[in-house]
Amino acid sequence: MTTSQDPSQTKDRPRASEVDPKLLEILVCPVTRGTLEYDREAGELISRSAGLAYPIREGVPIMLPEEARELSD
Amino acid sequence: MTDTFQTSRSDDTASFGFKEVPRTQKQSLVRGVFDRSARRYDLMNDVMSLGIHRAWKDMTITRANPRPGEVLIDVAGGTGDLARAFVDRAEERRARNGGDPARAVVADINYEMLEAGRKRGEDERLSWACVNAECLPFGDATADCVMIGFGIRNVTDRARALADMHRVLKPGGRFLCLEFSHPTTRALSRVYDAWSFNAIPRLGQLIAKDRDSYQYLVESIRRFPNQDAFKREVEEAGFKNVSVTNFSGGIAALHTGWKI
Repeated sequence: MTTSQDPSQTKDRPRASEVDPKLLEILVCPVTRGTLEYDREAGELISRSAGLAYPIREGVPIMLPEEARELSD
Repeated sequence: MTDTFQTSRSDDTASFGFKEVPRTQKQSLVRGVFDRSARRYDLMNDVMSLGIHRAWKDMTITRANPRPGEVLIDVAGGTGDLARAFVDRAEERRARNGGDPARAVVADINYEMLEAGRKRGEDERLSWACVNAECLPFGDATADCVMIGFGIRNVTDRARALADMHRVLKPGGRFLCLEFSHPTTRALSRVYDAWSFNAIPRLGQLIAKDRDSYQYLVESIRRFPNQDAFKREVEEAGFKNVSVTNFSGGIAALHTGWKI
């Protein structure tokens, strides 16, 4: 459902709302420990394996399944 | 849920201070305590320890022996004071010996705590993530050091959290857990009980207008397993060469272990 946007379209976004790239390197889905996709435009980290989208608040990933959005596809 | 002190345990309840609550509720109740007192968290530790927690944390960082280029995961890291101390200490060594800066992830279940921590100053060596200690969102073997300071007491399923902290450590990595513990002498124990059960909830009311959170703090400390019992839990999670260091006569204790 959700697709990652071209980062060049979002470079005017303030840096504070972006997830730290060094953090992204070690983050996995807390439910499946599978990989995550970073959807900059939606501000979500998507776990296909769990069918969940974790929100990002002011650049802080909220890696709690109970706060995640269920993917509809 | 009852208001009486229960020693009985069952699988579907967890301790919340002296109350038994359904397991599923503990997490949200604990979050409530810290939501109410996020900005006053350091104050709570100051009141509880007469300000000595700062010295305990300093000794914990010394034992962690931070080195340039290392990655720390600070679980229940709250406002990030241990994480900041870790990267600063590594920086002192880097100034002499070179290498890459150390990095730390401050991981806490409570977003307000993280937000309060970030307001103390952005630091590019620090990252922030909202996590549950029982299912950490980090890959296997990603950290050189995992630390939890005054946090394990608030975790519902300690065995799961300890096992997950073991999982994210690299082989050869070290684990440090600083927590309020149990005074090792009877005399100190009597003074400490009088202080904690009589004075602390009243001080909490006076200072933070929050008697309940301070009452929870005191009761949860009392219910936490003693030094030896918790050492066994750390060993059961897979850590090796586990050691215990008492601070201030056992008012706090530092448990350390290695992933081999």
